[in-house]
Amino acid sequence: MTGPVSALPMHETTPAAVAPLLTVRALTKTFPAVVAVDQVDLTIAPGEIVALLGQNGAGQSTLIQVLSGVHPAGTWSGEIEMAGTPFRPASVADAEAGGVAFLAQEVNVAPDLTVAQSLGLNAEPTRFGLIDRPLLLARARQALADFGLDLDPLKEIGDLDLATQQLVLIVRALSKHARLLILDEPTAALTDREAERLFDRMRALKQRGVAIIFVSHRLAEVFEISDRIVVMRDGRISGTFQTAETSRDAVVAEMVGSRVAHGKSARQARIGAPALSAHGLTVASADSSRPLASGVDLAVAEGEILGLFGLLGSGVVETAMALFGGWPGAVSGEIRLRGQPITLADPSQAVAAGIGLIAQDRRDGLSGEHSIYDNAILANLPALPPSLGFIDAMAARRQVTQLFDRLRIKAADIDTLVGTLSGGNQQKVQVARWLAAGVRVLLLIDPTRGVDVGARAEINRIWVELADAGCAIILVSSDAEELVEICDRAIVLRNGRVADQLDKSGLSEARLLRLAAGV
Amino acid sequence: MTEMPTTAAPIADAPSLLTRILTNRSLRDSTLLVVLAVIWLFFSFATKGTFLTQRNLILLALQTSIVALAAISAVMLIVTRNFDLSVGSAVALVGVVVALLTVKFGVDPIVAVLISLGVGLAMGAWQGWWVTKMGVSSFIVTLAGMLYFRGISMIATNGATVAPLPQALKQIATGFMPPLLSIGLALTCFALFAALRIMELRRGAALGVVQRLNAEIMRALLPALVATVAVVWLASWQGVPYLVVLVALCAIAADILMRRTRFGAQLYAIGGNPEAARLSGIKVGRVIFINFLIAGLAYGITGVALTARVSGAIAGSAGLFLELDAIAAAIIGGTALAGGRGRIFGALVGALLMGSLNNGMSLMNVPTFYQDTARGAVLLLAVAIDQLSRRRTSRR
Repeated sequence: MTGPVSALPMHETTPAAVAPLLTVRALTKTFPAVVAVDQVDLTIAPGEIVALLGQNGAGQSTLIQVLSGVHPAGTWSGEIEMAGTPFRPASVADAEAGGVAFLAQEVNVAPDLTVAQSLGLNAEPTRFGLIDRPLLLARARQALADFGLDLDPLKEIGDLDLATQQLVLIVRALSKHARLLILDEPTAALTDREAERLFDRMRALKQRGVAIIFVSHRLAEVFEISDRIVVMRDGRISGTFQTAETSRDAVVAEMVGSRVAHGKSARQARIGAPALSAHGLTVASADSSRPLASGVDLAVAEGEILGLFGLLGSGVVETAMALFGGWPGAVSGEIRLRGQPITLADPSQAVAAGIGLIAQDRRDGLSGEHSIYDNAILANLPALPPSLGFIDAMAARRQVTQLFDRLRIKAADIDTLVGTLSGGNQQKVQVARWLAAGVRVLLLIDPTRGVDVGARAEINRIWVELADAGCAIILVSSDAEELVEICDRAIVLRNGRVADQLDKSGLSEARLLRLAAGV
Repeated sequence: MTEMPTTAAPIADAPSLLTRILTNRSLRDSTLLVVLAVIWLFFSFATKGTFLTQRNLILLALQTSIVALAAISAVMLIVTRNFDLSVGSAVALVGVVVALLTVKFGVDPIVAVLISLGVGLAMGAWQGWWVTKMGVSSFIVTLAGMLYFRGISMIATNGATVAPLPQALKQIATGFMPPLLSIGLALTCFALFAALRIMELRRGAALGVVQRLNAEIMRALLPALVATVAVVWLASWQGVPYLVVLVALCAIAADILMRRTRFGAQLYAIGGNPEAARLSGIKVGRVIFINFLIAGLAYGITGVALTARVSGAIAGSAGLFLELDAIAAAIIGGTALAGGRGRIFGALVGALLMGSLNNGMSLMNVPTFYQDTARGAVLLLAVAIDQLSRRRTSRR
């Protein structure tokens, strides 16, 4: 398991025997609100497999996006060298030409292309200026066979399920003949057996001297495949471990950090009557009938904040969408609202029943070209004062103005376009929408993602205030720290099933992460 | 997030005066009016005053009315990111129905009109069903409709003109509301609007959401007053054509529907971001279906009006390219092709602008080919303005 250069210490000069493949010095990448990567130094030798770990938002994704050309040179500062020569990719294609192949976290395919076309995309062999289809096909066959993937290269990729699409993309990245392979959460959509096949191939590439960086949240596989573990926290590299010489506990402790756990709020939730509950909830994917969550039981009461924690692919987001009637795939199981069974086939039914949802991606929940007022009144449309379908604009404006003041939305007035607001203020507009609609149950999916630290604290206070006012809240977050801070109870999902339930006294970042990763 | 603030900054920091004018929303609305005024002044000089006579302006209003009717429903559909390419053919089919009923079968004109409106509604429902229930894009559904509605019209009439219509029907399109009645109607509309608006603004002031009450009232009433004065002047010649009254009433109803009702708010929401609308509990499919029903009603009204205006149904050429004129009017009037933005009155001004080009150039004896060229250029210019303002607003 230990690589040829596994004794490589960090931040120091590499042994003269093996020249480093990749050297990163003082890399810094900032976004408008945050410093995502802060003065990172990293050296990787040929044939080394490095696992990059960190909590959500710790900066590991941004780091590999810089290395793979997603963030073009010029948008970051610092130095990168590949095999001794400066490496400043202007695009992903540029990075590929420089020997870096990248597998993105999201499975993005052009559904109408065949497997062979997808594999050869942008690198098609040509003869007399035309695409050499027989050679394209032959290469695809070879690449699939190398990986041990039994798949017809003439099949359209859109007809494959998500896991197989991911495998095709992996085969594509592997077949790039790259010197450095970067994989972002490659196993999120894969079964254990498929993941094993991937690891076999990674080991074979390693033997050929290819270096691999992969980001994962699954500690088991990190320990199985990596030579070295690099942990990031708050944009910096906080620790480096030789895999053979460390333990999972040590790595989790490093991810969580030595900070005093942000005091769990001293708030005593006044738990009221049962609000929303689900029994045996099974959520299937929309394109195949593969279950993404199965047999999930959960219940949240009035005045309570229930955390729902899980890694990518654990089914937490799908579960929350199903509870809102907004999941496109098949949903079975029983959902009860205040003790009464309820059918939630469409979001309109959930909204009518007083359930609100704040979506993971703010772009899904807001219309940037419209004003705060327009966005805030949406969910409340059926309830505006006078009947006959006419909107009582003045009453609605007063309501929105009051919420605008109460939530301290930073904008000139309620006619400001939502697209001009910062992430935190956009999120407050969504809160205003549901407050205007008077929801009793609020589902939150990563509500503070991409929101700066100050606004995050303010938004989290809003959830607590709402709960204190008797609202039942389910908070889906990939940020363990946030869950520990404000939740009264948390349920952890792993591979679509409930791994465990933690009450407030047992809630800690380390426990959440261990349960979610199955350590 | 992944945008490069450093490279975008110079453009964003120093917008040209033109860009700033184009991107100011209230200014943008008036930009169009300014353009219209310039064009009118030009034609007035070029025709030695003929253009700006009561007689010619009434004629212009009549010429614009059919496109204006179609543009009203085009705005409503485009706002939700839907297109209707079938308008011209659907209108022709409605015309065939009303002409056959009255001319061939001697049906009472009122009954015939009601049946025609029903036929229009049915066509709207049919296309709406395909779009919302079968999930076919409106572009395809209405492209198909454009072909077979025209085809059915030809089959039903065997390609022959069905004419002449009974006098009562022709009256819709050729009759004039007497001057006194026209002026009375205009003043009543203004008084009603003023009363409702003042009441609303005072309520707003009482609720604390309207700060400078008198200034707001002035701002709301001034344009309406100007429009009313213009209408009174035009009507003093020999009244207002019934067809123009019909267009005005339809426009007012559609504007109220779009800007003052929950349904209208849902239309804009869906166009702005369909996913956000869905997650807000809006039944997107149902709203779009109703949207197509309204388009169907518009086929009915427009079809009857057009047929009455030319006093017969000509299946092969009636309403030809009407859908494109309607979409062009909507776009010139500030409706965003990407959805979520658009106003009825903007589209009316857009239709008037295109109509003015036709009318003015005809008065100047400019050949038709040149007219088409000029209209094409105006459309492209309008879309360019739209794009420019969008780029600016999305950079924010």
